[in-house]
Amino acid sequence: MAKAEHTVLGTNMPRMGGVERVVGKGIYGIDLNLPDALSGGVLRSEHAHAKIVGIDTSEAKAMPGVRAVVTATDAPDVRYGRSYIDRYILAKGKVRYMGDPVAAVAADSQALVKEALKKIKVAYEPLPVMVDPEETMKESAPTIHDDMPLPKNLPEGVKVKNVCGYAAVNIGDAETAMAEADVVVDEVYETRMIHPQYLEPRIAAARPEEDGRITVWANAQAPFPVRTEVANLTGLPLNRVRVISTDIGGGFGGKGSGVTSSAGLEPICALLALTAGQAVMIVLDKAEETISTTIRSGCKIWIKSGVKKDGALVARQGKVVYDAGGYSGFGNQAGGRCTQMVGGWYRLPNIHMDGFTVYTNKQVCGPVRGPGGPQATFAMESHMDSIAARLGMDPIEFRLKNAPEKGDGIVGVPKLRDSSLAETLRVAREKIGWGKVKLGKNQGIGFATGAWIEGSGPGGGAVVKVNEDGSATVHIGKVDYGTAARFGIPMIVAEELRIPTDDVTVLNVDTDASPWDAGTVGSRSMLVSGSAVKLAAEDARNQILRMAAAQLEASPEDLEIRDRRIQVKGAPSRSVSLASVCTAAHNEIGDVIGRGYFDSKASQADERERGSSQPFTTHAAMVEVDTDTGNVKVLKYVAVHDVGFVVHPKAVEGQIEGAAAMSLGQALCEQVVHDGQGRTLNPTFVDYLMPTINMLPRIEAITVSGYPGAGPYGTKGAGEIGSVPPMACIANAICNATGVRVRRLPLSPENVLRALREAGK
Amino acid sequence: MMSLEITLTVNGKSHTAELEPATALVDFLRDILGYKGVKLCCNTGECGACTILMDGKPVNSCVVLGADAAGTDVVTVEGIADGDELHPVQQAFIDTGAVQCGYCTPGFIVSIKALLDRSKNPTAEEIEEAISGNICRCTGYTKIFDAVELAAKQIS
Repeated sequence: MAKAEHTVLGTNMPRMGGVERVVGKGIYGIDLNLPDALSGGVLRSEHAHAKIVGIDTSEAKAMPGVRAVVTATDAPDVRYGRSYIDRYILAKGKVRYMGDPVAAVAADSQALVKEALKKIKVAYEPLPVMVDPEETMKESAPTIHDDMPLPKNLPEGVKVKNVCGYAAVNIGDAETAMAEADVVVDEVYETRMIHPQYLEPRIAAARPEEDGRITVWANAQAPFPVRTEVANLTGLPLNRVRVISTDIGGGFGGKGSGVTSSAGLEPICALLALTAGQAVMIVLDKAEETISTTIRSGCKIWIKSGVKKDGALVARQGKVVYDAGGYSGFGNQAGGRCTQMVGGWYRLPNIHMDGFTVYTNKQVCGPVRGPGGPQATFAMESHMDSIAARLGMDPIEFRLKNAPEKGDGIVGVPKLRDSSLAETLRVAREKIGWGKVKLGKNQGIGFATGAWIEGSGPGGGAVVKVNEDGSATVHIGKVDYGTAARFGIPMIVAEELRIPTDDVTVLNVDTDASPWDAGTVGSRSMLVSGSAVKLAAEDARNQILRMAAAQLEASPEDLEIRDRRIQVKGAPSRSVSLASVCTAAHNEIGDVIGRGYFDSKASQADERERGSSQPFTTHAAMVEVDTDTGNVKVLKYVAVHDVGFVVHPKAVEGQIEGAAAMSLGQALCEQVVHDGQGRTLNPTFVDYLMPTINMLPRIEAITVSGYPGAGPYGTKGAGEIGSVPPMACIANAICNATGVRVRRLPLSPENVLRALREAGK
Repeated sequence: MMSLEITLTVNGKSHTAELEPATALVDFLRDILGYKGVKLCCNTGECGACTILMDGKPVNSCVVLGADAAGTDVVTVEGIADGDELHPVQQAFIDTGAVQCGYCTPGFIVSIKALLDRSKNPTAEEIEEAISGNICRCTGYTKIFDAVELAAKQIS
């Protein structure tokens, strides 16, 4: 728990790295300046589904200034993937979406690269293109992957094809409970694909070194998985691969890593560099990025719930069909999480859900901000309002009636230690003025709750080196792209060592020096690196106090660090400077190096034992619908969150506001549109609409406290959960304003107007 | 390929350099003159990451030809601070937590400087209008709006 004596935690320390960013000196991946680096580029498939009959690179190779041309035959015969190891870095034998990498070129200039890519002749034999997962999973559908088996956990008797992930929720007896329910509501929802559209394009740079090693620069969220991938796909051992993280201009899961983002860009770049014997840098063009890198999948959700007259939920049945794209990518994980979340986070004793993740000929599913959650919640929380309407109940009262309490289990969590869901509902109701504010014509208020269950996941370490002047240099495995690494993490070190935050430097990731980490994903920076860095700072402090104790002739327990000095508690005159102790360490232990790690197994055991405290949220929106145009204007938006203890209030608010805004974009306008041949129709920012400031209200982020989580000081993850409720929240507000339920995203003028007209309004 | 020589002023400093006729101003500023604070993103004039001031007016430098900048006075994000002293907008971005990944930040700062140069006490509508051409994917704009208000307060 947070203690009153915290001096740094809970304040709004200026973001580390802020100054260089506001003066334009941040060195992002795209700003790298590697002397003599060649330009690299990727040839992408022009068919969404086709056999590769032959590739002729001879003309490209013969061009002066072209230094390397590679295809699948130049790469080791190794595939990569997450659940399904189904993908080569360069397509082999077949392409499975329009944008699949087929060949790559390194040349003296970008213009030459473009010219050389055009000279590569690929002979394709087109195959039927499958863009609709419902069609693709039929047994009669063409096969997208010839040698990929159906999921091992698929229930017997289920006849499907092209399925690369299955997830089930089975709690109680949903069939019987549904039959005994007083009211049954049965609905179908659909969401569309969106692209995370981080502003900085993906890059990769690679340089073969004289000593047989290779250095890779990546603007990836997960440098260690990139290292693994480069090693596996080049045949080099890990000690010969060094991955350096640049500053990163947004990611949102889209830069998750090579494996999870399925861009394969770093290994392709490494292959080019090794072939050319020279450094190579690839920068993706934004339109190329939109069609080729990973996305938040569209999905179709069938949801049916049974309730008693008093509003008690008794049964839920449903199905999710989740679009993986041409390769499995993160589809199995995101589709599985989506399926669980359609089951919900209310007290619900009987649930049966089936979730299928299905290959199609579209770009690949990645772990975009709360993978699976926003889509599931669009359906689940819209559905909750539909049920409340059928019962004639107030939507907040209906949710409060079913909100879990201490000791309850919800999908994915056997036992809750406490539950903040009800408090977030009450605060959101109050803040939006539900039942109090006078609504104008076609104005309405909607609510939606959200959860982002923090469960098992990898551990990760931290190293805190205290220099001889008492300042600290900190290594963690998580990168900085506006998340905890350079907001909250330096504050923890400053707090634990009682040194000014200016004396703390948190380094970006260099796999040669940083502790291993799975990547800056899953809202886990505070849980993993925060826990690790707290223990590392404590370890360093103990070393310092032990050495100081000898000098001060006191026991280490009686000492404290204050104002860059170590003093005897209660007798500040007996003190010695921090710098002198850390300098004297040279004669004793060399230097003060604290080590700590997040012990995932121990954390999970503790959660099992004591129950777990999960983050919950309720969002509330006030909207006005123009019934002539279908345009929806969001007038007010409140996001009430429990994220446990708040280390850096503005950073947490920023995460919530940004996550909400991204999903408001998906709610109101965003979608990647494909034609029947799998071609992306809106690859550039001219056609891919995203919210600008004049489309959004100032989002009001509010935190509630008193529900300590598993992270250090009782923190919980804050990066993704804000993206969970907005789509349902806006849909519910539209329904409140117009009486019309829109079950298909986006809630664009076109779709809203159609729904209004269909309802005769 | 044919190349031209142009002279322009960037952040108060005169530059004469060669470029190919088709070179966009963003590439000229970044790759030839080294002003990497001008951020490259959409290349279609939609996101505002490459916003600069050209003779005092904010423009998307990706949709302007470098050659068309001949003889103009360009200000990039690198030219906004007064030596080591940050411009109030820059300080406000740090103080309000408006810098997350920071990639859109230079473009916003340039757009907002232009706004505050012409309007000391902008209304909410003027603020929205001035930065409606800049996309931020991290913040949801709330803290950016706070930063503009704070900077305006500091200036006036």
